[in-house]
Amino acid sequence: MDAFKLQVKLYLDGGKHPGLSEFIPVFHGFIKHKKLGELLIDVANYAHVPEGPGVALIGHAHDYFLDESEARPGLLASRKRDPLPSSERLRDIFRRAINTAILLEKDPVLAGKIHFRTDEFLFRINDRLGAPNTDATFATVRPAIDSLAARLFGAAAVNIVRVGTGRELFSVRITGAASADLATLLKRLGGGADL
Amino acid sequence: MQPGSPVSWKQKLAGRVPEAMAREIDIFETQIDLRKKGKIEEKLFAETRLRCGVYGQRYDNGQRHDGDKQQPLVFPSGDTTKGPNTMWDAPGMMRIKIPFGRVTTEQLDVLAELAEEYSDRILHVTTRQDFQLHFVHIEDTPDLMRRLAAAGITTREACGNSVRNVTACPLAGVCNEETFDVTPYANALTWFLLGHDDTQDFGRKFKVAFSGCKDNPCGLTNFHDLGAIARVRDDNGQPRRGFEFYVGGGLGSVPQSAQLFDEFLPEEELLPMAQAISRVFARLGEKQNRAKARIKFLVKKLGMPELKRLVLAERALLRPDPRWTAFLADLRATDEKPLHQAGALPAGPYPPGFETWRKTNVLPQRQSGYVIAMLTLPLGDLTSDQARGLSDIARKYSGDTLRTTADQNMLLRWVSEADLPAVYAALKAIRLDQAGAGTITDITACPGTDTCKLGISSSRALAAELQRSLVASGIHEHPNAKGLHIKASGCFNSCAQHHVADLGFLGVSRNVNGRRVPHFQLVVGGQWTNNAGSYGLAIGAVPSKRVPEAVRRLTEAFAKDRVGDETFASYVNRVGKKSIRAMVEELQVLPSYQDDPSNYSDWGDPREYTIEDMGVGECAGEVVPFVEMGLAASEREVFEAQMLLDEGKIEDAARRAYSAMLAAAKALAREKSPNLGNEPDEIVRDFRTHLYDTQLFFDPFAGPKFAIDFFRVHDDGARADSKETAHQIIEQAQLFVDAAHQCYTRHGAALGGPTAMAAPESK
Repeated sequence: MDAFKLQVKLYLDGGKHPGLSEFIPVFHGFIKHKKLGELLIDVANYAHVPEGPGVALIGHAHDYFLDESEARPGLLASRKRDPLPSSERLRDIFRRAINTAILLEKDPVLAGKIHFRTDEFLFRINDRLGAPNTDATFATVRPAIDSLAARLFGAAAVNIVRVGTGRELFSVRITGAASADLATLLKRLGGGADL
Repeated sequence: MQPGSPVSWKQKLAGRVPEAMAREIDIFETQIDLRKKGKIEEKLFAETRLRCGVYGQRYDNGQRHDGDKQQPLVFPSGDTTKGPNTMWDAPGMMRIKIPFGRVTTEQLDVLAELAEEYSDRILHVTTRQDFQLHFVHIEDTPDLMRRLAAAGITTREACGNSVRNVTACPLAGVCNEETFDVTPYANALTWFLLGHDDTQDFGRKFKVAFSGCKDNPCGLTNFHDLGAIARVRDDNGQPRRGFEFYVGGGLGSVPQSAQLFDEFLPEEELLPMAQAISRVFARLGEKQNRAKARIKFLVKKLGMPELKRLVLAERALLRPDPRWTAFLADLRATDEKPLHQAGALPAGPYPPGFETWRKTNVLPQRQSGYVIAMLTLPLGDLTSDQARGLSDIARKYSGDTLRTTADQNMLLRWVSEADLPAVYAALKAIRLDQAGAGTITDITACPGTDTCKLGISSSRALAAELQRSLVASGIHEHPNAKGLHIKASGCFNSCAQHHVADLGFLGVSRNVNGRRVPHFQLVVGGQWTNNAGSYGLAIGAVPSKRVPEAVRRLTEAFAKDRVGDETFASYVNRVGKKSIRAMVEELQVLPSYQDDPSNYSDWGDPREYTIEDMGVGECAGEVVPFVEMGLAASEREVFEAQMLLDEGKIEDAARRAYSAMLAAAKALAREKSPNLGNEPDEIVRDFRTHLYDTQLFFDPFAGPKFAIDFFRVHDDGARADSKETAHQIIEQAQLFVDAAHQCYTRHGAALGGPTAMAAPESK
């Protein structure tokens, strides 16, 4: 797979959060304290837009959104620059998404107020040229997704379905029959120490 | 990547991008490459990218304050820049021209894709009917441009010293009150001036607007460099089309009403006259001093009769161009065709919310049985998903095109009234069913500190908060108050057009209790109707966090005391600005930081607005208060000048405004000249020596502009022979005083020695 602009969304349990404004100081703190180990630049507040990108943490290589699209709030991690080697890309974006979700759950402002589901992920490729939302793209990326899903969910049954129309980004919903906590999932993907 | 799939957008879109556009984009891509290799000088590259619509954005100098201290943003491309103090990798803004706001469904689909793939999934509608995408990397821009070009959109000359997006009344062609549809004229002038040799050597931007009628605000021609209002004249029994033609309007730091150039410019003269004006502007307009380079300054310098003489002489010399009149052969070419037959609104019951929405968001068209559905976009934003959904709705119900508006909304036109409930339900499904278009809650805001490098206060976050608080208070439903217009700009540049709002706000900052605090100047008395017929004036700066309370007081007072159909501007004149100011005066006094730190940060941003703890030494107790007292006195005098103007005392008003400038100048200059007296010449001399020659007073973006205004007012003896001149001197005084506050904040230490306050920018 040549496309590198990958996205992963983790959903908030029950869609519940304490309000988008609560995430603004948290994301500012991430920038200030360099929490994600990468260049972070700004926070953009789109709380006024219904079912929109919510609150965005804008970085150089990645953006992170407390995203409200699909009417299902969650954390969306999005790679946009500086491609990694092909073999690393998928695992890397999942690790970044999960690692950031862990940090959000642990943040003093949000602790106890949010909880991310670990049995469902939305995976997207933000590149209509390299990866249109077609069965052909699905066939191309399926082996890599299968492999990643196996690491995430182990022996548990996994459902992988392409979703959306041809006008939308290539999107796959990954659902596992069993779930582990975020830390375990991160560990299964190799941990987050080098992120 | 699938086998055989194209490797690049250039390859994929080959043959679909018009040749000239493809060539321009290729050249730009090459220039990007050359700049990265250091083979193009950065200033030249900056103007090049601006003319392609590729703009800078906040923090692109590689510095960001985290609330405690300035931190460097270490970008991978190191010191490579895309302009002076503009780091290569810093995210930027892409401005996308949408001539007269007409966007097709195909174009909207492409815009949605681009917002997703290169930006943050938000399409932002601007007050010039453009779209803007934020957080775009410069290396993505050539492909972004190609994809737009394949859909018939150019970003060329969206920024820079060029003819900006040509705007027009979004109701053109379907309006009940228009003289005729200005769409084909706006379209013809757009493409005629785009890239024209005679528009490539301007010293500053040039904005054009069309209006179908004179009385309504939709075209806002009064504040444009070139404004054309549709007119029909009887010519020996035959109706003849033309335009009431205006030149030299503008907002920004020196707002000026456009002046009448010609009561009736025949339609066939529209393009050549615009060309002749462009040539005169290019030849005689200011090139060195950006702050005086708009055509309004040329109009002022030459006077309209002389400008007109020069333009007509230029017109006589022009080589005929078939494009001048070719479009007149088919003025119906831009007509829109309805998709469905006209029909009557079906009997209810209607979906919940429909009646409320219909009251504020639906207008009847001139064509019976059709209506315009207005889409209220919060702060001008819609998502990629919404944009796709909207283009589907248009395809299903209204036709191929939509329009953006100058108040940052969108319109579906040619909706059969019979389809209206279904259209509403479809809009509701994509969450574009917000009622209140054009009402007090439909607030216009420029990007402000969210993304703009010039932003001083957070206009968007303020607007969002005002929206919330107005609804919470219920005042938005009061018949006297619901039609008010609120507009908030993040700085004096007036991108949100605050001068023509009922309640306008422009971002400023003030030192309070030794800390920097975000404020907004409250601007009242502007007129939205009559194509933005008159401009309001600032009556005082209110701390950002107190603005919602100020708005509550003012709107409730207006709702209670309004007489008949009185406008807010008339109300202000009736009760007097003193009374208006008195309503908010108490809000200007803030508790200390220790008692309530919330006032010391801006809306929507938890970082402390003061970006560094300010050291207050032993001498500061003497130094700081004098400056602050002087600045406070100057603010008071500006307000008094307005009072005098309102009383018709034109000369006194101008003199008082000048006195305010002197007070502010003295407050600063005295820090270097302790024995400075009250003689104006002496104040100007010392101000020039210590603040102008040293450039300490220079605004980071406007440079010496405000100081030069001060010198000119001084040299002219604050002479004002008309209300408009006095109005301008007051406006200049207000900006000079604001600049003095900024200067004091930036250079406290340099002004008052090591014991005075040091602002972070000076480090």
